[in-house]
Amino acid sequence: MLGKLDWSAIPIDQPIPLVAGAVVLVAILGVLTWVVVKGHLPYLWGEWITSVDHKRIGVMYILLASVMLLRGGSDAIMMRIQQAVAYQSQGYLPPEHYNQIFSAHGTIMIFFVAMPFVIGLMNLVVPLQLGVRDVAFPTLNSVGFWLTATGALLVNVSLVVGEFARTGWLAFPPLSELAYSPGVGVDYYAWSLQISGVGTLVAGINLVTTVLKLRTRGMNYLRMPMFCWTTLASNLLIVAAFPILTATLAMLLLDRYLGFHFFTNEAGGNVMMFMNLIWAWGHPEVYILVLPAFGIFSEVVSTFSGKALFGYRSMVLATMAICVISFMVWLHHFFTMGAGPDVNAIFGIASMIIAIPTGVKIYNWLFTMYGGRIRFATPMLWSVGFMVTFIIGGLTGVLVAVPPADFMLHNSMFLVAHFHNVIIGGVLFGAFAGFEYWFPKAFGFRLDERWGKAAFWFTFLGFYVTFMPLYIAGMLGMTRRMQHYDVASWRPWMIVAAVGVAVLSIGVICQIVQLVVSIRNREALRDRTGDPWDGRSLEWATSSPPPVFNFAFNPDVRGEDAYWEMKARARQQSLEHEVPEYQDIEMPRNSPTGFVCAFFATIMGFALIWHIWWMVILGGIGAFATFVVFAWRDHDEYVIPAEQVAAIDRVNIEERRSLVSMAGAV
Amino acid sequence: MSDQTHIPAGHDLAPGEEEQHGVGERILGYVVGLVLALLLTATSFFIAGTDLVWQPSIPVALIVLAIAQMGVHLVFFLHITTGPDNTNNVLALAFGLLVVFLVVGGTVWIMAHLNANMPPMDQIMRMQ
Repeated sequence: MLGKLDWSAIPIDQPIPLVAGAVVLVAILGVLTWVVVKGHLPYLWGEWITSVDHKRIGVMYILLASVMLLRGGSDAIMMRIQQAVAYQSQGYLPPEHYNQIFSAHGTIMIFFVAMPFVIGLMNLVVPLQLGVRDVAFPTLNSVGFWLTATGALLVNVSLVVGEFARTGWLAFPPLSELAYSPGVGVDYYAWSLQISGVGTLVAGINLVTTVLKLRTRGMNYLRMPMFCWTTLASNLLIVAAFPILTATLAMLLLDRYLGFHFFTNEAGGNVMMFMNLIWAWGHPEVYILVLPAFGIFSEVVSTFSGKALFGYRSMVLATMAICVISFMVWLHHFFTMGAGPDVNAIFGIASMIIAIPTGVKIYNWLFTMYGGRIRFATPMLWSVGFMVTFIIGGLTGVLVAVPPADFMLHNSMFLVAHFHNVIIGGVLFGAFAGFEYWFPKAFGFRLDERWGKAAFWFTFLGFYVTFMPLYIAGMLGMTRRMQHYDVASWRPWMIVAAVGVAVLSIGVICQIVQLVVSIRNREALRDRTGDPWDGRSLEWATSSPPPVFNFAFNPDVRGEDAYWEMKARARQQSLEHEVPEYQDIEMPRNSPTGFVCAFFATIMGFALIWHIWWMVILGGIGAFATFVVFAWRDHDEYVIPAEQVAAIDRVNIEERRSLVSMAGAV
Repeated sequence: MSDQTHIPAGHDLAPGEEEQHGVGERILGYVVGLVLALLLTATSFFIAGTDLVWQPSIPVALIVLAIAQMGVHLVFFLHITTGPDNTNNVLALAFGLLVVFLVVGGTVWIMAHLNANMPPMDQIMRMQ
């Protein structure tokens, strides 16, 4: 009746996950009770859960990423403490638990923190920057978000029901095959990634189509803000690469469920095919993450330097070059597999070549700052911190791209330090910069600068204290994923790294405090003009938060830095006073399709993991029925009457007039 | 999606969005495509079994016919043209082909070199 599921699935003997799970469960129940008792449920359902507004979906993506960041961060803290104490002893985590923790940490940080964070920012900002009212496929967008949330939910369910994979974040066979991992851990891993992978693919298709097909009047490709370009490149990579991940995991699942032999040791299977395919997805994946971050830095550096981006066209070219070359380097993840010098040399050289467009970008940001009037607000601090940190990570990356050096450093702590250096220093700093920069646009008030700066400095220093020792430990020969060790010379570095993770945690706490303080002081921090940073692109041309239709009129773009140019024109012509003629606006209706679809996908995923076949069929029918109901809908749009549009828009225009006239007086 | 949010950006069409010809004209296009596709398929089957041509040329001929078949599908059924309104579609196709070529070609090459740096097990076995 319930497949493999019985009471032994609950880890009664392991207090840590059980207590953690209980705390989370109590927290969730508490929030739910509060929502129901206070009567917020209709609001939550009508305005957020069923929303197809790209801004709301973007905010929900970022919320999911932030919550999962805390989960993944807790895993990181536990690992650092374990390695600090497990010198010539077993530490406090038993091996099978430790293995689950590092697997969950990697999986969560990449798939459920970094991915939703950048996709959320792209969702929130790109339609505004393009000057349009919505994304190309609003309901599909909601489906994509909720399927990602399903994946995150399944990973967290594994904490209290069953176990998570003990195989590392990419579940390499033969360890992940049934013979060596008979439990449900790998199934939790694979099904949550399959379901959230569909969500990511859907988001990618939606954003590619939005950038290619929905741009306002005059918004040529070469007038698009840099963030739109990097969004395009990143989502092209999603569309091209995620099917490889889905196919590879599908083959692994066939091995595990139906006795196939794609990656097994026996019957002609080849584990190296898994390495090859997973990295053919895995390397483009890191550029999927970091390209949007590059776009955010471009926006932030140019805004806070008060200058147009230096070398816009070279930046576009570098972005698209990275987009293509990222598909030519994947073998550098397994130089040591036994390939000959010709294969290794070609992929090594390609890996070094991809550093060139990245270097072009660094110089462009530096030259944008050069001669500019730089304001060191929090987003700019994250950007400068990124440049310093990312250069170090990039240089160690070029180092491990040299095959002979890689033979020494493969699977060592040096490698761990390298990829944390580029992912934290690149993606996470970018996500935080974007969070600080666009928060006023999303919510209508700025974030507290003092706590923001404190968060930056603690995170920045904490990063160095945590990961520089790991480089050294790697040089001393320490391999990754060790539950305990006996080498005395590694010990001090592990202790320093544990101190570093404490400093990093203070950074995260500062972020939370910043959010709380800013919400309490929101009246003082209110952004009435919609343009708190003296911005340059179209998202600042509308109010904060933008109305549901984004723009009362589709903006007319006449050059790069569209909004900067509009402001300049308005000052020269001492403001146009003609009363514009407002028109009715049609917007897509909210739809519970995404939520209902993900609800059934969750049931189906859980049932697949535990081999509960009747429930699999039930979930599948439910998800398909949701799709059919949506496909046969009659009313998919509603009309906002012209008077309402006018009323909303006039308020914003008044605020903006006073801003422009004040600027003119100065 | 409402019409107002559909702002035409430049001249650029999605597949199936091209200007409406008469029904007859469109049916004619599909029929021509179907006939060509069937013809190419029939030729492939014929070539594979025949001894009228030089035998080693048969695989090459099949590859050529397969590529022609793809071309027919792209032009008559997926409406990919070289017109300026089709730039996006052609570029998307080119990007897709490039990625498929890189991943498939790279995989074949990598998997063929899998053991180049390994000890020659077959020789060692023979020596024992």
